Amino acid sequence: MVKIENLVKRYGGVVALDHFNLDVKEGEIFGLLGPNGSGKTTAINCMLALLKYDRGSIRIMGQEMTPDNYDVKRQIGIVMQDVAVFEELNVYENIDYFCSLYIKDKSRRKELVEEAIRFVGLEDYRKTYPQKLSGGLLRRLNIACGIAHKPRLIILDEPTVAVDPQSRNKILEGICELNRQGSTIIYTSHYMEEVEQICTRIAIMDHGRSIAVGTKEELKSMIKTGETVTIEAVILGADDLADIRSLPHAFDVKYEDQRLVVRCTGAKHNLIHILSCLQEKDIPFGRVFSELPTLNDVFLEITGKQLRD
Amino acid sequence: MWNLIKYSFLTKIRNRSIVFWPLIFPFILTTVMYFSIGQMEESDFETVNVAVVAENAGGSEAEEAFLTWLEMMEESSDMIHIEQMEEDEALDRLEKGQIDGIFYNGETPALTVGRNGLPESILQIVLENYIEGRKTLEDVAAVSPEKLKDAVFAMEDYTDSVEQVTLGGKTTNGNVQFFYALLGMACLYGCFIGYGSAMELQAYLTPLAARRCAGPSNRLHVILSETLVSFVLHFVNMMILLAYMKYVLRLEFSGSYAEMLPALFLGSMIGVTMGMFITSIGKMGEGMKVGVMVGVSMAMSFCAGLMNADIKNIIDRSAPLLNRINPAALISDALYCINVYDAPARYAQDILILGVMCVLLTGGTYLIIRRERYGSI
Repeated sequence: MVKIENLVKRYGGVVALDHFNLDVKEGEIFGLLGPNGSGKTTAINCMLALLKYDRGSIRIMGQEMTPDNYDVKRQIGIVMQDVAVFEELNVYENIDYFCSLYIKDKSRRKELVEEAIRFVGLEDYRKTYPQKLSGGLLRRLNIACGIAHKPRLIILDEPTVAVDPQSRNKILEGICELNRQGSTIIYTSHYMEEVEQICTRIAIMDHGRSIAVGTKEELKSMIKTGETVTIEAVILGADDLADIRSLPHAFDVKYEDQRLVVRCTGAKHNLIHILSCLQEKDIPFGRVFSELPTLNDVFLEITGKQLRD
Repeated sequence: MWNLIKYSFLTKIRNRSIVFWPLIFPFILTTVMYFSIGQMEESDFETVNVAVVAENAGGSEAEEAFLTWLEMMEESSDMIHIEQMEEDEALDRLEKGQIDGIFYNGETPALTVGRNGLPESILQIVLENYIEGRKTLEDVAAVSPEKLKDAVFAMEDYTDSVEQVTLGGKTTNGNVQFFYALLGMACLYGCFIGYGSAMELQAYLTPLAARRCAGPSNRLHVILSETLVSFVLHFVNMMILLAYMKYVLRLEFSGSYAEMLPALFLGSMIGVTMGMFITSIGKMGEGMKVGVMVGVSMAMSFCAGLMNADIKNIIDRSAPLLNRINPAALISDALYCINVYDAPARYAQDILILGVMCVLLTGGTYLIIRRERYGSI
């Protein structure tokens, strides 16, 4: 559906996309995950033929993507990172306007606009102007404007930024539903939970490069961490930490702010081994947490920094 | 295309700043200035009270002549009201504000006023006019003393017997020139509509424009629909403004309504495309772009005589080329040609220059906004 090869985009001396590659298959919900400034939006703008790039190729639906490739553009739906609607048009008119760029038949368009309004749950706001809508409802309108014409490919660039949890859930459910209806989705976000929740495949981006691609399971299997154990302990000495480091599967032990964090390979019996060690040494401890690896751990291990840094 | 036009029209007429500055503000300014100028003209006719103090008890022929002249002025118009009195009383009444000035009637008449203002200026002009005409009166007094009164009367009545007309025989009300400049300014204020259009056309300016650019609409169709709607909206407004001036306020526009439209047609196009051009060039912030637009249109309007009609004349004399490339001055000049001069050649030249400007600006603007890919967004 979308194939990007060796895309290079520079802003003066800054390399925004550094030989970026992407291969999105039809029917996927493909997540582009990366911290702010990692190049996600630049990649999207290049895909949409809005930005010039220095090198590489972009093919969508088998055709080279150019500004005047209207056949391809007609099959794409865009939801921009910033809300992009007319302040002077009400909800219905906004959706109708954007739908009219793709669908010429008036009666068909009317059906699609009504369907989009129902889909995002804005039935009670047809005549409402954007400035009267809450942040969440505005985001829903932004989405409705991008999907009303039932595109084959929908590109959503951080559609849930500054959205309340209720609207966020509604948006994420809606994206899954669009995918079930046959649309291929490209979803960019810096919220790893969202990407984990809905995406079938994920590319992790950093410094304009795609540093890892796969399903969430594949990505997690790429890293050493199998489990992260966190224990609240008041006093731990250097000897105690050395003993914990010597435990089987423990490969990274940190003690900061009275919190012991042990990252282990595999995920079996690690907690029991650590707690036994503390009991043997008669070290008091408080709350205990055990977490399976997240995409943040994947990012952390590959780049050495947190996803939200 | 129809939907593009329909929604472009709706977004513009619902946008407050687009509706106010180019569409409503010129009407407000026209109305305010119409009544201000009207009041100013009425205030010219408020009677100015002045005392006449005789410096010599007997009274020479010259003193007699001045007094006669003042009395004739008083009789023939409401401009001044004179009262003869002693100096002490005159000074007392001047101090109390009961009179506006004192004429000391001696060999050489003199004026004393209590403050500066329009009545005092009128008295000053009256005195200056008398002194300028005194030589004539003295000659008459020397040759035919019995005709002195007739001469004084003739001099006083000069303004009534002369009507200022152009070579074409049309009246020249100086105040109307302000409204020509105002029409020039109103045309240029179309830049606000052009600004709104460009903001929704250039992907690097707003997310909304980026979304439109990413859509499947032919770029040329989008640009055409935006330009067409902006221009038609502005031109229709200019037609209404002109009709308001000519038929509602009944300003002295002696030329026909249709004759004035070509200048407004081209002026509207220049205003709209100027806004699109300024908005589309460079990476200035929105505030800076609006500032540049306001600055450019106001500077041009100033040179066209919006704030002071003499400015246009001064520039025409000292730097004529400046007003030949100033659209506001050209619009004002074209309207002046229709309503005041009978100068079809100069009118045609104005229209030609406006037309060339229009083509250059539209072409330049199109070359900038037709871009489909940007270096950065």
